[in-house]
Amino acid sequence: MSATQPVRIAVDIGGTFTDFQILDQRHGRVMAWKAPTTPADPSEGLMTGIRQAAARFGFALADVGLLLHGTTIATNAVLERKLASGVLLTTAGFEDVLEITRHVRRDIYGLAPDPFPCLMDRDRRFGVVERMRADGSVEVPLGDLTALTDRLRAAAPEAIAIGLLHAYANPAHERALRDAVAKALPGVPISLSSDISPEIREYERLSTTVLNALLMPVVQRYLARLEARLGEDGFRPRIFLVQSNGGMCSLRRAAEQPARLLLSGPSGGALAAERLSRRLERPNLVAVDMGGTSFDVSVVQDHVIGLVTQGEVDRLPVRLPMVEMRTIGAGGGSIANVDAAGRLTAGPRSAGARPGPVCYGRGGTEPTVTDANAVLGRLDPDFFLGGAMALDLAGARAAMETRIGTPLALGTEAAAEGVLRVTNAQLAAAVRLSLFEKGLDPRDFALLSFGGAGGLHATEVADELGITEVVFPREPGTLSAYGILFSDLVQDLARSRLYRDDQAEAVAAAVEALRAEADARLAEDGVAPAQRAVEISADLRYRGQAFELLVPWPEAPALPPLLARFHATHRARFSYAAEGDPVEIVTLRAAAIGRLDKPEEASATPADTATAPGSRQVWQGGAATSWPVWRRERLRLADTIEGPAIIEEAFATHVIAAGWRAALDPEGAIIARRIAA
Amino acid sequence: MKKLGPIEIEVIRNALTAAAAEMDITIWRTSRSTIVRELLDYSTAVFDAEGQNLAQSARIPGHLNSMTHALRTLLADHVQPEAWHEGDVVIFNDPYCGGQHLPDILAFRPVFHGGARIAFVGTLCHHIDVGGLVAGSYAAKATEIFQEGLRIPPVKLIERGVRNEGIWAMIRQNIRKPDLLLGDLSSQLASLEVGAAALARLANRFGAAAMIEAGQRILDMSEAGMRAAIGRMPDGVYEFEDFLDDDGIDLGKRIRLHVRLHIEGETARVDLSGCSPQVAGPTNATLASTNAAVMFALMCCADSSLHMSAGCYRPISVTAPEGLVVNARHPAPVAHRIAVTHRLLNAMNGALHQAVPDLIPAAYYGNSYVTTFQTVKESGQRDVLVEIEIGGSGAHPAKDGVNAYASGMHNNSNIPIEMIEAQLPLTVLRYALRDGSGGAGMRRGGLGLVREWRVDSAHCFFTANMDRFDHAPYGLAGGGPAAKGALVLRRDGAESPIPPKTDNLKLQQGDVVRLETSGGGGFGPPADRAPDASDRDARMGYA
Repeated sequence: MSATQPVRIAVDIGGTFTDFQILDQRHGRVMAWKAPTTPADPSEGLMTGIRQAAARFGFALADVGLLLHGTTIATNAVLERKLASGVLLTTAGFEDVLEITRHVRRDIYGLAPDPFPCLMDRDRRFGVVERMRADGSVEVPLGDLTALTDRLRAAAPEAIAIGLLHAYANPAHERALRDAVAKALPGVPISLSSDISPEIREYERLSTTVLNALLMPVVQRYLARLEARLGEDGFRPRIFLVQSNGGMCSLRRAAEQPARLLLSGPSGGALAAERLSRRLERPNLVAVDMGGTSFDVSVVQDHVIGLVTQGEVDRLPVRLPMVEMRTIGAGGGSIANVDAAGRLTAGPRSAGARPGPVCYGRGGTEPTVTDANAVLGRLDPDFFLGGAMALDLAGARAAMETRIGTPLALGTEAAAEGVLRVTNAQLAAAVRLSLFEKGLDPRDFALLSFGGAGGLHATEVADELGITEVVFPREPGTLSAYGILFSDLVQDLARSRLYRDDQAEAVAAAVEALRAEADARLAEDGVAPAQRAVEISADLRYRGQAFELLVPWPEAPALPPLLARFHATHRARFSYAAEGDPVEIVTLRAAAIGRLDKPEEASATPADTATAPGSRQVWQGGAATSWPVWRRERLRLADTIEGPAIIEEAFATHVIAAGWRAALDPEGAIIARRIAA
Repeated sequence: MKKLGPIEIEVIRNALTAAAAEMDITIWRTSRSTIVRELLDYSTAVFDAEGQNLAQSARIPGHLNSMTHALRTLLADHVQPEAWHEGDVVIFNDPYCGGQHLPDILAFRPVFHGGARIAFVGTLCHHIDVGGLVAGSYAAKATEIFQEGLRIPPVKLIERGVRNEGIWAMIRQNIRKPDLLLGDLSSQLASLEVGAAALARLANRFGAAAMIEAGQRILDMSEAGMRAAIGRMPDGVYEFEDFLDDDGIDLGKRIRLHVRLHIEGETARVDLSGCSPQVAGPTNATLASTNAAVMFALMCCADSSLHMSAGCYRPISVTAPEGLVVNARHPAPVAHRIAVTHRLLNAMNGALHQAVPDLIPAAYYGNSYVTTFQTVKESGQRDVLVEIEIGGSGAHPAKDGVNAYASGMHNNSNIPIEMIEAQLPLTVLRYALRDGSGGAGMRRGGLGLVREWRVDSAHCFFTANMDRFDHAPYGLAGGGPAAKGALVLRRDGAESPIPPKTDNLKLQQGDVVRLETSGGGGFGPPADRAPDASDRDARMGYA
């Protein structure tokens, strides 16, 4: 970013809203903006929002030097099956691997199961006579491809995935096949498993490669539209896209490897949690992002969010690094219900954005968690979304009464309180499990609450967990975009090969090759040598185990510190280490990082004159009492908020429960602490 | 006493389920063996003070609904209620004391609050080896339980917080992989600790009386849900039978699993008196296994929101005279009890189909295709691969069966081919859906699988235990049966069948073993199949 283009914009395109965070280096202020998403062509809403923000915050489109772009376009294309029509080429005899999957069923009691999704039908999976071995040697050479290319031409695919057995160990057959296919069908995009996810485990690699192939035409169309907008009114920033691993990539790379965008949705929030962990000097945070349909939990430990090596979209595995996250179907739109046996549940069914909660007045008839908050007076019907939307309180009350109160023989408010209690218990259980599975204790963590609905539940969830501090960051409704604003370029490279812990030389050679490749990639992207970094890590396991632990390896290629860290990590996660047992290295990884400069961010500017809080009647424990209602932007550093109280801002409402005391932090976050048992 | 409201009940129910989940994660985090950690062959549960299951984390239907039987048997016959103290842990694996088979060790711990016992927490783990004739304790040719491994009666492994070192040493001395078994057993103990702490937190918050009341109400509500499900079934007597091929000892002598299901208002009586007498080989079950299959079949018929607890069992009774294959008499061997439960579930579903024809699918493959390859290199190095394969699910009245779908009493994953080849001198030559293996019908049964392994080491010992080679998975309502299974050896270009129940068949380099698994049965007359569905089958090569 140059002095002539001092503005950096992070944008996060969600299903309903496109969120912006804008940093203008001329004064260092970070500004938030929201615009409606335009699903037909999301770049349209993006440009509209940028124009609005430019007018509102006083910058010109030509001032924008960097556009950091988070998008769910790839994810939505998969969920809605708006994908290209493709063909898979794979080792003959294994054409059905993609359909056979890994077996384990999820609905134990179901009598009419649906198959696991499979994106290529059997008649679109072509066998190729060839065979590699696990050590990369050739057992059956690639034969004549004339018949295959004839068959391919007849199938007229829009995209081609190539995934051969053991291609992670030797990609020669995949590459030869690509060259032959490219010649026969020029212009059709081709994805190789050895490029997209060069890791051992055929089904997961194939699934990732097929997703990538089918996404290429879709994502390329979007990126072309986005690029076409460059030049409008002098708008000519460098554009990068957010990947699942929390890093950015160039447009070219996104066009070639769109699978890397698939799980990028939550990574902005995770990046923000990491950054806030440092700015607020809280090394251990459990970040909870509660929106309309889901509740995402991620854990920041010693200022760092963990990565995992695999995720999934709609039950389809994606074998690529992504930020570690636990998601449950509990959000503001979660539907409360009483079943035939008299059992009250909240979620996982959601009213979503359409029709949404009853109180939105868009045709929703089933009461939701948001309706419960409205019925109890925790949400202000006249100040929802900063007053942009009036809430239909009467409708919410009626739905709560008929669908929950009457069947349970409870009053309307008691029913709404019940919905919140059941919801909070579920949220707390999700947080507890996220920490518990890592061997961590909630009492050692502060809760970072964001997303549109998080603040309404945070202090009460913390109470269930024994957590005594809750952080409400600035702009909780656009926090993902805030995280994106300060991220770096990251390309993940991987090399799978089963190494024993006594093969130091072979491992060192592989690490050096990875480093060289990483450096070359950064050079390709135009990253200056001073801004480059390569971080090595490895997936290890004890011989005989069927899964691996991802372990950072700053000392690479020195093996002893890696093994020591593996034993230590294993002990921390699984309570024991088998130090005498042989260890296997399954995959070596390199993150090629191109540092983007981090402009100084100005501190928040708290109000300097005192404003007395307003008040409203809120139901709790069967009675309505008057709670103070504070406006966030009018808070001073000197203000002390005693719970029970409410803090409102444009896109979020926060409840400070009884027994909690909150105050503004110089960084602009509101920090609430438990003061009484 | 103040009656708890529906909100408190739901909050406590959620907390009990969360406690079972925390116990589950504890085992996953701390266990040592692959069978527990990667095949996830374990379960955790929370019980009321009388041993009734309130919440569970189980993933495997064979475990589900067997632990209440185990704990109730324990309380009735082995460890009297007054003999339990704070800090005690009782373990056992004896099928003749309420267990299923010897590799499954159960551990229970009482939870006290204010001096009163308010609950139990329990875990069940499948251990990698408990001694006996063969490694893994799955001998296909055992004829009495004494050959199947170390048999642990109900004993206090921990008494008032102090571990009994004598028992610990006794176990260590009698098994093949003591570090793994004792490591996994320790993780069961850690899990009980976590569960007890979670329940103590809950009791501190709500009080002992509320916990007990909530437990009763949870059971009552599950019972009401189950009664409603049974009540929707028309009254009547529904009979069905299906067969296991044999027990591996008396070859070709089929084993009958006969169900007479009485639906009377909101109750179900399941009479298994027509089942075959117990057999010489290990294809026998005790009541814990049998009950698990019967309860599972009926619970599948309930609404999806039914909370799975012991309350669901109340309207169901099971008659299974001792000495039958479903209630074997000591000292019959029982290692392959899973085969009995697969077929019993097939038979239960055949009976239920007559009561609720819109709900019940045709037979799934009904079998755990267990294969073991022990490779021996020239150097003498030995490696072992154990795989469990599956087949197709049965066609449902409203939709086709699913190709290669883990169904019924078990639930496990396959092993990546590339992982096998990177670790063992074996090559997988083919892994495919088995064309035409699903039963024909208006709805087609799911397809089974074909898997071929080539031996690349100097020698290899092959063990298999499977069924449905003589008795195909049935179709319903005019649908056709699925294909039977096949196991074939290809050596020097010639093919010959391998018996489906085989211990230690010696293979040589270059030999190829091919397994073909059953699909699921079809539903409805094949002539009623929609033309576009038939066209698609032809295009995909499924039919």
